[in-house]
Amino acid sequence: MGNEKKGSLSLFRRVRTVLLGFLTLAFFIVAVAPLLLIIWTAWDKGKSALNWSFVSTLPTGFPVGSQGGILNGIVGSIILVIVASSLSVPAGIWAGMYLWEEGTTPLARLIRLLSDLLLGVPSVVWGVVGFYVFSTSTGYGLHWGFSAMAGGLTLGFIMIPIVTRVTEQALRDVPLTFIEGSFALGASRWQTLKSIAIPSAMAGIGTGILLGVLNVLGQTAPLIFTNYYNTGVPSSLVGSQGAVGDLAMQIFIYIHEPSEILHTKAMAASLVLLGIVLFIDIGIRLMTWGSRKLYARVG
Amino acid sequence: MARMSVEKFFAYYGENAALKNVTLEVPDQQVLALIGPSGCGKTTFLRSLNRMNDFVKEFSIEGLVTLDGVDIYSPDMHPVVLRRRVGMVFQKPNPFHKSIFENVAYGLRIQGIRAKSVLADNVEESLRSAALWDEVKDRLNDSAFSLSGGQQQRLCIARALAVEPEVLLLDEPASALDPISTSRIEELIQDLKTQYAIVIVTHNMQQAARISDQTAFFLLGEMVEMGETSRIFTNPSDPRTEDYITGRFG
Ligand SMILES: Nc1ncnc2c1ncn2[C@@H]1O[C@H](COP(=O)(O)OP(=O)(O)O)[C@@H](O)[C@H]1O
Ligand SMILES: [Mg+2]
Repeated sequence: MGNEKKGSLSLFRRVRTVLLGFLTLAFFIVAVAPLLLIIWTAWDKGKSALNWSFVSTLPTGFPVGSQGGILNGIVGSIILVIVASSLSVPAGIWAGMYLWEEGTTPLARLIRLLSDLLLGVPSVVWGVVGFYVFSTSTGYGLHWGFSAMAGGLTLGFIMIPIVTRVTEQALRDVPLTFIEGSFALGASRWQTLKSIAIPSAMAGIGTGILLGVLNVLGQTAPLIFTNYYNTGVPSSLVGSQGAVGDLAMQIFIYIHEPSEILHTKAMAASLVLLGIVLFIDIGIRLMTWGSRKLYARVG
Repeated sequence: MARMSVEKFFAYYGENAALKNVTLEVPDQQVLALIGPSGCGKTTFLRSLNRMNDFVKEFSIEGLVTLDGVDIYSPDMHPVVLRRRVGMVFQKPNPFHKSIFENVAYGLRIQGIRAKSVLADNVEESLRSAALWDEVKDRLNDSAFSLSGGQQQRLCIARALAVEPEVLLLDEPASALDPISTSRIEELIQDLKTQYAIVIVTHNMQQAARISDQTAFFLLGEMVEMGETSRIFTNPSDPRTEDYITGRFG
């Protein structure tokens, strides 16, 4: 030990470093491989169908979709995301703020418990509930038929607990010293929340919205009972003309058709969906970054 | 002459008494130093003067704390109003993620002051009082985090001064700073005491001796004695005080 050279690691530590490096690399490959495989497969099988008219025209031909593109799915997915977000973003952020403020009161605990339970409800169950609340034409409920409103709001309810949980956590991650600094100047709870906590938590809240939106984009089960699918674009958000296409649903349907062309188009549609995901990801990041700057100025 | 007065004050974290039967007066236009070993309750005491402990779970108090004769824990004094009158600077500088200007303007904006000229005048005056104006006047829109630690702490003092408090509480404001920044803050406190009642917690005996008029010595949650700083440091009446200031413990 005494004459060990200063500055050189012991053999054990060098071996350990190398081993840890290998492990990290191995885990990285295990984690990333499926993603690369998906992208590669979709690209390999779908690239022949990708062109401008694929994303700009409605499906036609027989079976439907063998000609034309997936405009119905793109438009429908966007409508569903907008409807779902209009419900879940305000409701989720509000609930998250409430949980942050009230923390340990019995009502806050109950809301947190319910929200966690909701996260665990299988999406197909949401679909059935959505059907009875929004779509069914008999009994109680809103009688909206299979429509964008029914599907979008069902997806919105799935999204609420995600946004709620992430918002609360993002607020909790704001260092206490900032919060106390604000209170010490005579700020109320609401002012502290609005001017100090929310701007600091903006990136985290954006992540929550993103997670929710991505979840919505990938859902098909809840839509089976509330919207199903439309090969055209809707003329209204509710009623018999209210159903929309949806990319995930479109891919699901195309894959189940015994048609080589539709399989190719399903792969191409997956690429488009991935592109939209990337686009929304960057968009939300820019928005949260921008609003943080804005808040930083107006106080 | 006392700005705030504390009578038979007890503070508890759950079952644990952090302060036991503390009685003292915060004199106006003077600096009161709180000294004592770590964990003796100095921070708890300071934060009891502007009700910052309200946010601590399981915290409770007994006794009376008044500001100009009004019980600050009674419904007659809203904590938000109290904290505007009793400002606080924390141990570690904690500027907001905002510009230098907006950090100082924050306390005014939350009072609903929007007029640009009023804000600008107040920000300048507060930064001057905190001896920071000359260093930042050309970069008011830069992030507060572009400042050095010592400048950040003076910014926090400016931020506290902007709301024109009557009492200023400082919890070891220089403990995270280098000697030059420390002496700037000490000079600043000397200047400020002409206008405010100042209570400062310090670990540093020399600092207490240099800057304070009155000194209170805390030990294990009790206030052992309080008096003129010169007397406490030369001729304390309690042997425990003498042990502490001569460095025999703590
Ligand atoms: N938030 C808290 N919860 C529980 N106990 C606390 C809390 N803050 C301080 N204490 C306890 O109260 C006592 C006094 O602490 P403090 O006021 O921070 O002392 P000082 O500032 O003199 O070092 C200590 O025993 C400490 O452990
Ligand atoms: Mg302390």
